Amino acid sequence: MNVLFSLNLQEVIACLFLLAGLVFLIGSAIGMLRLPDFYCRVHASGNSETLGCMLCFIGLMIYEGATFNSLKIGMISLLIFAANPIGSHILGKSAYKNDHPVWTLQAHDAAKVLGMPPTDHSADEPVGNSDQVETEEA
Amino acid sequence: MSTILTVILGVLIIIIVAMSQRLFNGPTSYDRMNALGVIGADVILALVIFDAADEGAYMYLDISIAYALLGFICSVILAKYLGGGKTI
Repeated sequence: MNVLFSLNLQEVIACLFLLAGLVFLIGSAIGMLRLPDFYCRVHASGNSETLGCMLCFIGLMIYEGATFNSLKIGMISLLIFAANPIGSHILGKSAYKNDHPVWTLQAHDAAKVLGMPPTDHSADEPVGNSDQVETEEA
Repeated sequence: MSTILTVILGVLIIIIVAMSQRLFNGPTSYDRMNALGVIGADVILALVIFDAADEGAYMYLDISIAYALLGFICSVILAKYLGGGKTI
């Protein structure tokens, strides 16, 4: 705790931004490892990763002060702010156009995933990518 | 402040190692591309934090600008290649 008491106000604000960004980065990493589908994972990486990077870059800009390096960090943060969501969007759209299967609770047995008691889904309509289901049955 | 930056660098390296698990045995190639994008963003952030933590460091910011540009172009081109060259 001695580290925290020896900071001035600028560094405290920078620390707050950096730690908030780190929380979002850790959440994004957990989502990437735990979520069941490619679309869910690209959602986790596209949103939380960008927000965490933005918060960390803002914290670093506050820590550097008004210098030339701070301007460079702003440039990098603008690049990441544009590039990261566009990359995720292009990946997801490319996967969807090539009929990458969509994860649904019915297709993957909700009882096994969620630990619920088994239910009868045989009367329900098929959900999600119905073309794929038909080709698999045929 | 240097201690906190070092801790954040350590957590970033742990995140990168965890993403390499998704990179090496992701079920589809789209997962591998997604993990590559996340690793690229984390490496850029780690380079910038290293520049702020080390007083004698220089040129790390320029390298991370180039890394961000090349990572974005690489991601777009590989996504188009995985999609069979169609218009995305």
